Amino acid sequence: MIYDIRHVTTYEYGSPVSVARCTLRLEPRTGNGQELISHRVEIRPRPSERNVRRDFFGTLTESVVIEAAHGNLRIDSRSRVAVSRRPPARDASSPSWESIRDIALEATSLGPSSPVGYVFASPLVPVLPPLSAYAGMSFAPGAGILAGAVDLMHRVRTEFRYDPKATVISTPLGEVFDKRHGVCQDFAHVMIAGLRGLGLPAAYVSGYLRTIPPPGQARLQGADATHAWVSLWCGAELGWVDFDPTNDLLIGDDHIVLAVGRDFSDVSPVDGIIVGSPKQKLGVAVDVLLVE
Amino acid sequence: MGEGAAEQDDKAGRTQGQREGQRRFAQWVRDYSRLPGIPDEFLGPDGVPRAVWSRFFDAFGALAPDEIERRFGMADRHLREAGVTYRAPGDSADRPWSISHLPLLIDEADWKQLCAGITQRADLLERVLGDIYGEGRLVAEGALPAAAIAGSPEYLRPVCGVPPPGGRYLSLYAADVGRGPDGRWWVLGDRTQAPSGAGYALENRLVLSRAFSDLYKSMNVPRVAPFFEAFRDSLRARADRDEPRIGVLTPGSFSETYFEHATLARYLGFLLVEGDDLAVSDNRIHIRTVAGLKRLDVLLRRVDSNSLDPLELDASSHLGVPGLIDVLRKDGVVVANMPGSGVLEARALLGFLPALSRRMLGEELKMPHIATWWCGQRVAREEVLSRLDEVAIEGAYRGGVPGFGSSGPVLASELDASDRKRLVDAITTRGMDYVGQEVVRLSTMPVWERGQITPRPFVLRVFAAATPDGWAIMPGGFCRIADQPDARAVSMGDGARAADVWVVSDKQVATAATLLPATDKVRIRRIAGVLPSRAADNLFWLGRYLERAEATLRLVRALGSPSGPNKGTAASLQSAERIQRLLVAWGATSQTSRMAAGRIVAEALQSEARSGSALSLVRAAQRTATSLRERLSPDAWQVITEMAERLAYEVEGDDSVLSAAELTLQELASFAGLAQENMNRAAGWRFLDIGRRTERAINTTRFTRQFAYDEAGDEDLDILLTLVDCQITYRSRYLLAPILAPVRDLAVLDPYNPRSVAFQVAALNEHIAALPSLKEHGLIEKPQRLAVAMQAMLATAEAEKLEVKTLFALEQDLLSLADAIGQHYFPHGPNASRPEKLTGLA
Repeated sequence: MIYDIRHVTTYEYGSPVSVARCTLRLEPRTGNGQELISHRVEIRPRPSERNVRRDFFGTLTESVVIEAAHGNLRIDSRSRVAVSRRPPARDASSPSWESIRDIALEATSLGPSSPVGYVFASPLVPVLPPLSAYAGMSFAPGAGILAGAVDLMHRVRTEFRYDPKATVISTPLGEVFDKRHGVCQDFAHVMIAGLRGLGLPAAYVSGYLRTIPPPGQARLQGADATHAWVSLWCGAELGWVDFDPTNDLLIGDDHIVLAVGRDFSDVSPVDGIIVGSPKQKLGVAVDVLLVE
Repeated sequence: MGEGAAEQDDKAGRTQGQREGQRRFAQWVRDYSRLPGIPDEFLGPDGVPRAVWSRFFDAFGALAPDEIERRFGMADRHLREAGVTYRAPGDSADRPWSISHLPLLIDEADWKQLCAGITQRADLLERVLGDIYGEGRLVAEGALPAAAIAGSPEYLRPVCGVPPPGGRYLSLYAADVGRGPDGRWWVLGDRTQAPSGAGYALENRLVLSRAFSDLYKSMNVPRVAPFFEAFRDSLRARADRDEPRIGVLTPGSFSETYFEHATLARYLGFLLVEGDDLAVSDNRIHIRTVAGLKRLDVLLRRVDSNSLDPLELDASSHLGVPGLIDVLRKDGVVVANMPGSGVLEARALLGFLPALSRRMLGEELKMPHIATWWCGQRVAREEVLSRLDEVAIEGAYRGGVPGFGSSGPVLASELDASDRKRLVDAITTRGMDYVGQEVVRLSTMPVWERGQITPRPFVLRVFAAATPDGWAIMPGGFCRIADQPDARAVSMGDGARAADVWVVSDKQVATAATLLPATDKVRIRRIAGVLPSRAADNLFWLGRYLERAEATLRLVRALGSPSGPNKGTAASLQSAERIQRLLVAWGATSQTSRMAAGRIVAEALQSEARSGSALSLVRAAQRTATSLRERLSPDAWQVITEMAERLAYEVEGDDSVLSAAELTLQELASFAGLAQENMNRAAGWRFLDIGRRTERAINTTRFTRQFAYDEAGDEDLDILLTLVDCQITYRSRYLLAPILAPVRDLAVLDPYNPRSVAFQVAALNEHIAALPSLKEHGLIEKPQRLAVAMQAMLATAEAEKLEVKTLFALEQDLLSLADAIGQHYFPHGPNASRPEKLTGLA
């Protein structure tokens, strides 16, 4: 399937901002059943510097400096992406989760796709013993890694309440877990923390969902904004498998991957530091249209 | 008495002193009870003192007991007066530094072995870092487990593949060592991030070598100055231009070791900077100065890696510089140590170093380290679980043991059944977060306690600086002495004492070494460096606080003086009320108008609760001076400390209060004298003086309004002359009782009177004209516009026609000038807009 994606981020400031330094991670990835066809970002006001590089995780990262005083900032990203994925069945057989835990630690690479980078606590995802115990209930001794993760994902979907007003970006994970509510980002962090608590390698994925569902299907939660889910390393054969705990599904052709990292802090699409205005109003609009 | 007899007498006295000394030494040895089963530095296994310690105690014992106490007291006083402090985590105020008065002695031959071990280890660690962040062969070929690195919060992904500017990861390396039961030095841990303690070691050396200068000389102890010189030169050489600008990056004055940051900056001649002082521009790091942005070439950082750049690392950090990591990528700044170097502090890596040494250096490690098993590997994990009661469990990376609090190792034998199960489960499930370590018994050294010596465990931190000719090792180091028997729990925050470390040689040491460069390298310079905006801001406020304190003290003195306005007449009472109103307006005393004059005076002088009391103002000056430590002379610092101590000391009775005010005024004058006579006439002195003159002009205008109003009588005018310190001048000129116009002229308009408003404004104009201009548009800048206008007004005004409303307008203009100076020269001061994080889930 081919999608046209428009992702517009706007900031309105209470008073003029004199300098802004932003980091943009807005280019969808190529690989794992996905191919980038075209991509373009327009920024207003025009930056005085634009630098592009690939970060540690392989994400195309653009550093932008705006030195003109400005009252608002608009970042307009357009991408065309082809997607074709075959997720494993929910009940497919898989290696035991304990064996995955042991093999993951034996990896001889520190690279971005090596599982060792994703078994430890990360800036936004601490290892919390109660959350580890919660996740542990889905993983009976000797159970398949896929079965365990599907069960955990289902429990997060059914036992947590989706509530866009309940959390902000800085809400600690412990609080999200105690109150059992949040948005896609929180659900992804909860599932990741649980998996890592058991010693399993789990990554955070940012991306998009198609806006209008296929005929006869319900619109998915999170379709009008950027979305987030979990990628779990399931051994050399299955590789990295993506789980969407917000919608309780293994991702297929409806998901478009932007970036992968340890948690949101590694992949946030627009990030930055400004000098001048503590008052900010953020707007994010995402449209994902099926071209063919 | 003939000369011969005197000599004989002297000789007899000396031998008697020596006998006394030997007797005391023998007594100390008898009373020294070694800890059972633990080796000791002073006494050998046979109970006989080792040679270096014998040499020391022979000379030390010859000092009479009260002489010893006197010298110890001298050392303590020096530390207090120099303001050597540290802060433990959670402290809201600085703690005084506590030094053990006996040094740790290390025999030269022993020291050479230790140096060889440290040098080899530093070489190895530098190579390991190069591989981890570069080619990655150690991991790819299985010599280092990837997980042992990936788990460290100090493994900095954004600098992977970025070659360190200047060519090295480690510029300064430190190892914590202790002597094991086999008599060898053991490494307990590596410090590769931003090792602390070198500055305290320097301070300890200064203090002890001064208190026991003869003893110090006789022991042939090599000096530490050449080490610092080598370190400074190698940082300079690493920059890509001559005469580089180097900064010590500190988290700020709330940091535990801020004193040390300031000491190092001053001693090495570097700028002390905080993240907010720095800005990225043109792929370089710049420092904000009163003359605009100036390029900074090298940063010696005392901020942890993760806090260095909110854009690419910990986004919540306010200690770093947004964009710093990108500047590293562009090779635009040398950072020592290279961000990410802290990854080698992980305990998980210790067990792999012997094999890495064989592989990378082709030799065995010369110095053993504490045996460590990383539980991320199955064999090691099973080993640890099977010997759980014999090993200590530690976190694999940094900080405490996950799930078991934040400090110190966990001993399974001390846990109850449920905690023990929790520990076993945690190690089984997430073994990669834990290591098991052998429990080592380290040697003890003597400390002085109430006229005796007692053994205490210690840890020695040894420092190595990378130079073009290899590693330079500080002869000595930073020694911390424990109060408990477990030497590994030593940390400055635990109330432990520090000790100086003497490497003792049989040969005489070279004495020429100082921090002065060799003469053929020196280029004559007359103005020192640049003035960072933050320092200018602090100097300005230091000047203002001290001047306000002086004005407050003068009010207090005028109110409390027996010849002052409290004589009971109606006019006197009115004058007293005017003074009181001023003190209330300045927040020096509370509103209760019926308070006895004595209580008002005491409150305005000493109240902790009143922000405008002389005590509070001096303390504010002291806080400001704390951030200027590297720029103030020890004398100036000492004067401020003494004032704060005097005012904080409760005094009773009018006479004592007045004399405290009097003495403090004298100290303020001596501070002003020190500044006037000893500070270079560079921008720093100008800002201190601008602060002082601005405040004095404001206060004098205000006093004149209050006491030289249109209908003011003798008494009020007399008070004004006292407040502005012009009694003598007035009387020598006029030989009359005070009269309004001459008094106003003297206080406000007379350009020859150093206390007048006109004099201050003229001085301000001179300063402003001499400061660098920031704009290039050629228009007059605001501070100058205001100051020039005021000077013209004061020059042309006539005392007879001066109106109170003119004085009021003048006071407002002076306040505007103070604001304009702040906005112009230190726009990044405390009230400036700070960098903010873009918020929200974008």
